[in-house]
Amino acid sequence: MKIFFCVFAVLISARISAQELFVFTEPASNMPSRSLGVRDMNAFMFEKNGKLNYHNMPELMWGINKKWMVHMQGFISNRQEGGLNVEGGSFYAKYRFLSNDDIQRHFRLAAYGRFSLNKADIHQQEIETMGHNTGYELGVIGTQLLHKLALSSSLSYERALDNNPGYEFPPTESNSAANYTFSVGRLMYPKSYTNFKQTNVNLMVEFLGQRLNANGKSFLDIAPSVQFIINSQARIDIGYRQELYSTMKRTAPNGFILKLEYTFFNVFK
Amino acid sequence: MNKILIFPVLLLLTFAANAQITKAELTATGLTCSMCSKATYKQLTSIPEVEKVETELNKTAFILYFKKGSAINVGVLKKKVEDAGFSVGELLVVFNFENQQVVNNNSFIQDNIKYTFIDATPAILTGEVKVQILDKGFITDKEYKKQQKLVKQFPGYASVNNNLYHIKTL
Repeated sequence: MKIFFCVFAVLISARISAQELFVFTEPASNMPSRSLGVRDMNAFMFEKNGKLNYHNMPELMWGINKKWMVHMQGFISNRQEGGLNVEGGSFYAKYRFLSNDDIQRHFRLAAYGRFSLNKADIHQQEIETMGHNTGYELGVIGTQLLHKLALSSSLSYERALDNNPGYEFPPTESNSAANYTFSVGRLMYPKSYTNFKQTNVNLMVEFLGQRLNANGKSFLDIAPSVQFIINSQARIDIGYRQELYSTMKRTAPNGFILKLEYTFFNVFK
Repeated sequence: MNKILIFPVLLLLTFAANAQITKAELTATGLTCSMCSKATYKQLTSIPEVEKVETELNKTAFILYFKKGSAINVGVLKKKVEDAGFSVGELLVVFNFENQQVVNNNSFIQDNIKYTFIDATPAILTGEVKVQILDKGFITDKEYKKQQKLVKQFPGYASVNNNLYHIKTL
């Protein structure tokens, strides 16, 4: 934990920054209160034997108030035999516990938790409660906005359980992991705002890492992406995730992501 | 004994005025992107007393025009900006005054909300006058810390109350 805050202090003092609607990670900021977000994530991941795994993850997001937001997500995939299957779903909640705002900058800290169910077979050493493992994840996120630049980092504990019914988590494998992420994003266009209809273009680079607690095996991925924000309300994200190194068994670490998102403001009273 | 003395003094200093708020200029902090501005805009336009909101996106600023005769509590504006996920960095409010006497510590009540002049130049005001709300949550945290010297002079400034605001003429 101390290391995390030290790393953060260094990043902040480096004074780089971007927008903070990241593609592969969540920021510490929440959605507006009483709004509803609809998101659909499509992942096209390449298995090492050449097979293309398609994952579809539809998601509903609700900003309860300025501090709390929740997500519900479904996991659909063709990774197993027999075409597209609904494999599971998850519940995610985020609590923003610190927010320091200033003119075109902020620093925020949030804690989050995810609980997921999945009935697919367990096929890799990597633990991923988004679409692969039944289990939970608990973490903290820190995000710094500095005008057009945003930096975000997170640290989490992820625990895999049995994928019921039928797939027990292998007792010989590590069933828990530490995850860490670091994201940088920058608003590229427009240079200057005149109205809400201007399409925004953001460029991002994210680093996503995991270390298995029981055996010390780890990986680190790099994930560049481009994001278009249309009418200040809809988001189109195109990203690519590439493994930089891995000492653990992973089925399909590399691939493209296409994410579509739309926010409905003031849906709830 | 002290309380008994203070009460009539407060009565003398407080006038029920006819000083309608017609307009507000709000700068939000903690955001850059137009999606964040839109979230703030949508929150502000959901206030029933607001007739229209103009935006200045580069400055993350919003100009609010209120419906005629409506009672405005600026605390509602602050809450709406915070609901969008951000903060108020500056709030300027336009009052329509009628012979309003401005003296430090002088107060008036409008729509059950008490406004106290602090850090003010003595004057008598008539017509549309722009004032700044100086209370916590209506200026940046940095600015609020700087204003702490005012607490010695105006002890009431330290309190945070939804029906009691401290204003400065500009």
